[in-house]
Amino acid sequence: MSLDAPSSAILIGFVVLSILLVLHKASRPRFPLDHYVPYVWAFFLVFNVAEFWSFEVAIWVLALLCFVSLKEFFTLVDIRWQDRWAVLGAYAAIPFTIYFIQIDWYGMFIISVPVYAFLVVPFLVALGGRETRGAVLSIGIIDFGLFLFVYCVGHLGYLALYSSWKALVVILGVIVSDLVATLVQSGRRPGLGRTSFRCLISIPLVAGLYWALADWTGIGTLHSVALGALTPILAAIGRYTIAYIESDLGVERESAVPGKGRIVDTLRSFVYVSPVAFHYVRYFEL
Amino acid sequence: MTRSRHWPSLRTLIHLLVLRPLLRLLFGVSVEGRENLEGLGQFIVAANHNSHLDLPLLFGVLPVRAIAETRPVAARDYFERRAVLFQLVRYLFSPVWITRGGPTEDALAAMRDALDQGKNVIIFPEGTRGTPGEMRPFRSGVGRLAEAYRDVPVVPFFLHGPERALPKHSAVPLPIWNRVVIGPPRRFTAGCTDIAAALERMVRELSQSETAHRHRRVQRSGRCLTVAVLGIDGSGKSTLSRRICEELSKRNRVLRVSDELEFYHEGSCTTLRSLPSEKVRQALARYTKTAKSLKHYKIPKLAELLLRDHLLGEVRRWHAPEIAVMDGSPLINMTAWARLYKEELHDPKIAGAAIRVLSGRDENLHDSAESLLRVPELSVMRRLRITRLHLPDAVVMLDVDPAVSMERIRRRGERVQAHETEDKLARLREGYLMVCEVVRSEFATPIRVLEGNLDLDRLTSATLEFIAEIDRPEARHVQ
Repeated sequence: MSLDAPSSAILIGFVVLSILLVLHKASRPRFPLDHYVPYVWAFFLVFNVAEFWSFEVAIWVLALLCFVSLKEFFTLVDIRWQDRWAVLGAYAAIPFTIYFIQIDWYGMFIISVPVYAFLVVPFLVALGGRETRGAVLSIGIIDFGLFLFVYCVGHLGYLALYSSWKALVVILGVIVSDLVATLVQSGRRPGLGRTSFRCLISIPLVAGLYWALADWTGIGTLHSVALGALTPILAAIGRYTIAYIESDLGVERESAVPGKGRIVDTLRSFVYVSPVAFHYVRYFEL
Repeated sequence: MTRSRHWPSLRTLIHLLVLRPLLRLLFGVSVEGRENLEGLGQFIVAANHNSHLDLPLLFGVLPVRAIAETRPVAARDYFERRAVLFQLVRYLFSPVWITRGGPTEDALAAMRDALDQGKNVIIFPEGTRGTPGEMRPFRSGVGRLAEAYRDVPVVPFFLHGPERALPKHSAVPLPIWNRVVIGPPRRFTAGCTDIAAALERMVRELSQSETAHRHRRVQRSGRCLTVAVLGIDGSGKSTLSRRICEELSKRNRVLRVSDELEFYHEGSCTTLRSLPSEKVRQALARYTKTAKSLKHYKIPKLAELLLRDHLLGEVRRWHAPEIAVMDGSPLINMTAWARLYKEELHDPKIAGAAIRVLSGRDENLHDSAESLLRVPELSVMRRLRITRLHLPDAVVMLDVDPAVSMERIRRRGERVQAHETEDKLARLREGYLMVCEVVRSEFATPIRVLEGNLDLDRLTSATLEFIAEIDRPEARHVQ
């Protein structure tokens, strides 16, 4: 079986990440950005499955990733006992959202969470119990988690439906942005000035990467550069915003482990990039 | 050479291939301090206990070779209620069965047997699951065990997450990440009480480091204080409750739950629009007043009391009063009224058990408890899960001579109900006084018994004085 260049690149990327993953498990002390490897590996796994096996299977692996990240978010926040049904309802929204992607029902996918789920969650909170204090906060928390980790991340799956490479290049752009942010990092809390500085360094790198891969993604040169400039900006906004929220949730980035903020922290750059990149590609019919 | 020395048993394989992956996928488990279990031979695990998920979680972090060699302590009387669950737990975890409320020596002997056979033992020193997120004081059993087996190290565990994923009274688990923190193993030389205290301290230290950064929403003060005014018919409880509502409403938003729902604010009263359940309750109340005998009175009155209790929850939910004054307390009324129906059984022990069952405080009461066997109605209500009745924060009991009560009832000119005779009211009065004493002694609820023949002004000032004494923020229940 002969593979074309883009497919070979996806496969090689996956193999390299798998080796890094093994090293990640074995190495002490660990290398920089090591916590990032399992999640990027998971994304590459999704796209390899989509490329070489079946998109349907890949999209359900993405559903699992949404479930794991949403689960961590609900672990971090203070949900009340009577919010249990609403939280279960939020989990139940995952298969519906993913199924709409699988059958390419754009109209339903786009309103599934911001219309239907957002209407159902308050109802389930109201059904949950007698205590009304904190209901609005609970609804906000549950809706916010659902929006970020199912709806926003789900856009990446819809982008993969158009082309695995289009989705993958967005991920590569985010990885480059995060890599630059980590290498240029100084101090624990990112200030707006430092965030902008890192973003400015990332823009030419990511735009260059998108331009270089334009033939494989099928996105024209001009749009590749534009999307390449947009990705680091959105990744930086995501990092800044989620870091702010993490601070309220008590996540300590340096010591975060899965279940205590590691997954949310890793996905923070993706949540702003995914929907905007998807709608950019869709709007310009790239 | 036996097969078991080299090959894991089917039970171990189920743990490794089914339970552990399922736990990790559905809930997620992160472990800190796994190295503290390395190189240990036999050990005792002392862990906090808030959920049925604790047991699979603990087995999920044990070294593989320890799975078949570890036996948790479990309450036989609890698991025996569900045959399938009992068999499943017995096969998967091979517990050391104990009976709650049974002799402590029997429980300790069962644990000693397991340790003598070289098994590891998992013990939950709090004794029961308790309130989610709260750790109870450790009982001395774990200390006695560690004292008797000084060579066997005790490993403190702190489990964080199961109390949210599957708390007590929840049937459906919620996917929430769990955290297991394993402390360093320790051998003790002190006495049993000191060992239990030291272990509790160790687990609390693990818990403090683990929960220090938890996200917590800001708690608002101003919870609802529930005051019940009790007394036999004609004792004047409705008049008194109305009067104290008027007085209390000068500073608070007060709700009066009586035949009508009344909301008092700044001294004025508004009758609230009836909730749907309230309309049903009022219809039942009207029916009970026309009942020809106690037999016909029993079931409608019971239903009416249950609805009245439900109503308290509803009005708290929709009207958020600061103080709720109840004309009677469904839970206490129900218990006291048993005097008329089962006088021979109406003693403080049974009354205490009834209140425990009906208010959901019966975790230590097993099915074979004498009180449940003697009063089968309690078992039925437990099975029907009629176990969420409100115990008031404070009780005012108006003690009136039944002859005086009868005189007041006759003066009303209304139809005399089936139980409104001097003899029956005398028995009811005894019932109320006995139940009040039980509530005071067993549930630490403040009670004030007032002489009902006093004039209304003196009764009102005595009641307000009593409420002022107990109306501190920490005295208000969150339900």
